[in-house]
Amino acid sequence: MVRPEPPPPPGQTPVVLAALTIGVLLMGIQLWLLTVALDLYLAGQPREIWRLAAVSGLIFLGGLLMLRLLRRRPRIQRQ
Amino acid sequence: MSEFPYHWDADELVSRRELLQFAVYTSGTLFAATTLLALLGLIRSQERHDVRPIARVGEVPEGEALYFRYPDPDDEAVLLHLPGGRFVAYSQKCTHLSCSVYYQPEHTRLFCPCHNGIFNPLTGDPVAGPPQRRLPQIILRQEGDLLYAVGQVP
Repeated sequence: MVRPEPPPPPGQTPVVLAALTIGVLLMGIQLWLLTVALDLYLAGQPREIWRLAAVSGLIFLGGLLMLRLLRRRPRIQRQ
Repeated sequence: MSEFPYHWDADELVSRRELLQFAVYTSGTLFAATTLLALLGLIRSQERHDVRPIARVGEVPEGEALYFRYPDPDDEAVLLHLPGGRFVAYSQKCTHLSCSVYYQPEHTRLFCPCHNGIFNPLTGDPVAGPPQRRLPQIILRQEGDLLYAVGQVP
């Protein structure tokens, strides 16, 4: 039998939802950066692409950090 | 209870977290793809092309074009003898969808018949139609009455 997941700590569901919404928006920006990078590559301006890759990498690192933060489960003191 | 072991809130939390995890992995893939493009661009910018004779100056009358292949045997290119005596050369590959462009001396333009793209023969810049980028220019060098292709600017 599969062990049920513990219920979410109070107030964390909206945090996950907010992270998801912001993450999807930032992913859209990353996709746009990729299309600009492809355009620059075809236009023969590879130096500019590194900046785009850096911004995309920062977004990715932000996502990883968010995942790590959400894995921490706060201790709840019940009375 | 045994048939549905998941607490409703816990079930929602799991699916959202999984979706968030998937989003972060997708974000990593997009980052990797952008970095790959940067690396490919770096490699391409360090490529060196051969020096190759194209034609003798007298072979191409003023206002006419000569079609040749450069830098590889499969890469079509066009040499233009512009009014005024200047020589320029471009890749024939249209920057829209890679159809071949042709010189139309009567209109003094490079024309792509696939989607009516038009390029300025003086600069290679797109003038009309769907292309957004200029044609790759082939660098020429004249030695005596011989014209050489010595490189390509994307």
